[in-house]
Amino acid sequence: MKKLDNTLIIGIGNNTRQDDGLGWCFLDLLEKEGFNEENLLYKYQLMVEDADLISSYQTVFFVDANKTHLNEGFTIEQLYPSEKVSFSTHAVPPNQILNLCKTIYNKKPKAYLIKIQGFEWNFKIKLTKEASENLKKAFKNFIVLTN
Amino acid sequence: MNPRKIVIEPVTRVEGHGKVTIKLDENGKVIDAFLHIVEFRGFEKFIQGHPYWEAPVLVQRLCGICPVSHHLAAAKAIDQLVGIDPENLSPVATKLRRLLHYGQIFQSHALHFFYLASPDLLFGINAPAEKRNIVAVASENLELAKKGILMRKFGQEMIKALAGKKIHGILAVPGGVHKTFTKEERAYFLDGIKIPTIDTMISWSKEIIDFMKNYHLENAKWIDNFAVYPSNHLGLVHKETGALEFYDGRLRSVDFEGNELLNIEDIEYRYHFKEAVEPWSYLKFPYMTKYGRENGWNRVGPLARLNTCTYITTPLAEIERQVFKSNTHNKPNNMTMHTHWARLIEMLHCAELMKDLLLDNELMATTDLVRKGTPRNKGIGIIEAPRGTLIHEYHTDDKGLITKCNLIVSTTHNNEAMNRGVRVVANEILSEKPEITEPMLNQIEIAIRAYDPCLSCATHALGKMPLIVQLENHQGNLIDEKIR
Repeated sequence: MKKLDNTLIIGIGNNTRQDDGLGWCFLDLLEKEGFNEENLLYKYQLMVEDADLISSYQTVFFVDANKTHLNEGFTIEQLYPSEKVSFSTHAVPPNQILNLCKTIYNKKPKAYLIKIQGFEWNFKIKLTKEASENLKKAFKNFIVLTN
Repeated sequence: MNPRKIVIEPVTRVEGHGKVTIKLDENGKVIDAFLHIVEFRGFEKFIQGHPYWEAPVLVQRLCGICPVSHHLAAAKAIDQLVGIDPENLSPVATKLRRLLHYGQIFQSHALHFFYLASPDLLFGINAPAEKRNIVAVASENLELAKKGILMRKFGQEMIKALAGKKIHGILAVPGGVHKTFTKEERAYFLDGIKIPTIDTMISWSKEIIDFMKNYHLENAKWIDNFAVYPSNHLGLVHKETGALEFYDGRLRSVDFEGNELLNIEDIEYRYHFKEAVEPWSYLKFPYMTKYGRENGWNRVGPLARLNTCTYITTPLAEIERQVFKSNTHNKPNNMTMHTHWARLIEMLHCAELMKDLLLDNELMATTDLVRKGTPRNKGIGIIEAPRGTLIHEYHTDDKGLITKCNLIVSTTHNNEAMNRGVRVVANEILSEKPEITEPMLNQIEIAIRAYDPCLSCATHALGKMPLIVQLENHQGNLIDEKIR
């Protein structure tokens, strides 16, 4: 069993909406590769209480589908707490979760956002071919980064 | 001054996408005001043709905040399709479903109070818009924010333990439940190792009611007089005792003075309710047939439930109910802002109910989870969702495929009440004022927000949740608009 100590990987999305399932598929790949499933979290969206959750980890990866064009088909970027508020009860952006975590728990986990470009968002449980290719590239890069 | 129209769009800190239009005459006097619900999804239609057992799973997709309510209302209806009425469901299945329901109400009420309503209460209606959010609450009242997060988390964890996941999980199956509660799952909520205990939830619920009572003492002039208007009140009550009931009971309605208007078996609802439509909103307007469209509408939700029940079965919440009722000399409370107070009393009640069930060994029984009777082709499930009375009705053909579905969700019941609230506040706050400011518009939203409306649920619609306020002249021309 491979284990990422003190690391949480959150896949955000919905696998019944085609490429919106990229975040979850990323976690599926990690599980297949033998990563500890306890560190993998499938979410439709982030909520305020996730600030509590991430406060107990040193590193957090947020993995989400991206609608706009990305040159490499994916990006991995470091995230920092944002004081900008665009809160709704249905979704909170990752950088605001980090800000809440800092404000409430005085914790600043190192955080990264993995964006993977998707193409289709209809009611189907299958990634498009192009999104699957982007997923593979993002995953390969993630493995290199974490090794 | 030119005649104007104000549009508030989107309405913020509510679930779903709404718009408020306020029409002013040449003198700036409010002529009329409307809350429009502008989403449409048509769940009732597209579920037709699906097998009945899919309903509790499909319909919960109406909402990401109260899916459990839709799951359980549908399950109660589907039970009847397999010949099981609520009283014939096995005791263990009933208890497990109730525990799930109480966890749902607890987390939903916590979410509304801490994340949505508390900024208005803590910072006041004139606070800058950028300050009225949970982040500012966290910055200025750390302990309150922490408790809010952990209380919401407790309810979410309860849902996860029972339904497999926090959103869109499954516990109920036709005629029962598909899983029971394990010793380890129970210990999680009692031992305080990973999350605070249920006793802590009770203690914090009491604390937050104390906060609300103190707030009332200091701000009575405002919250006793803001958006006050007479209405009927509707809620489920215990069939024999009339006590507050969330899962199964009789439908009772009282008028603004406490006179009983309705007291019926829940499955008789169709004979007593109709739904009106208006061209400017996708949301229907339910009313009691006997009293007509103008006089037969009800408020539902925490305030209405405390107005329709005779008492609360758990001791601590009952003490708080009595204090609450003393404000109105035991008469119905028509003060909209007191809905927040009522919501907190219900949170305490749910925490007490969850404790009782967690200590009940029957919860871990592994037999008699599902029962079957003689199949029927019509089922009606009515529960009290966090936001109020929720009605699901399904008809099937001989193959078990759904031929008809009718949903009346809590926010739909509150449609007329919210519109009245908008009109009352618009008249009081905006009429004949030389300038319309953002805090003024926020007060319109506060009146709506008290109902914790779920506009996505109400239209069964998919969408974001912005609020628009539009200012329109007497000829219907848009003069000013504020969008958030």
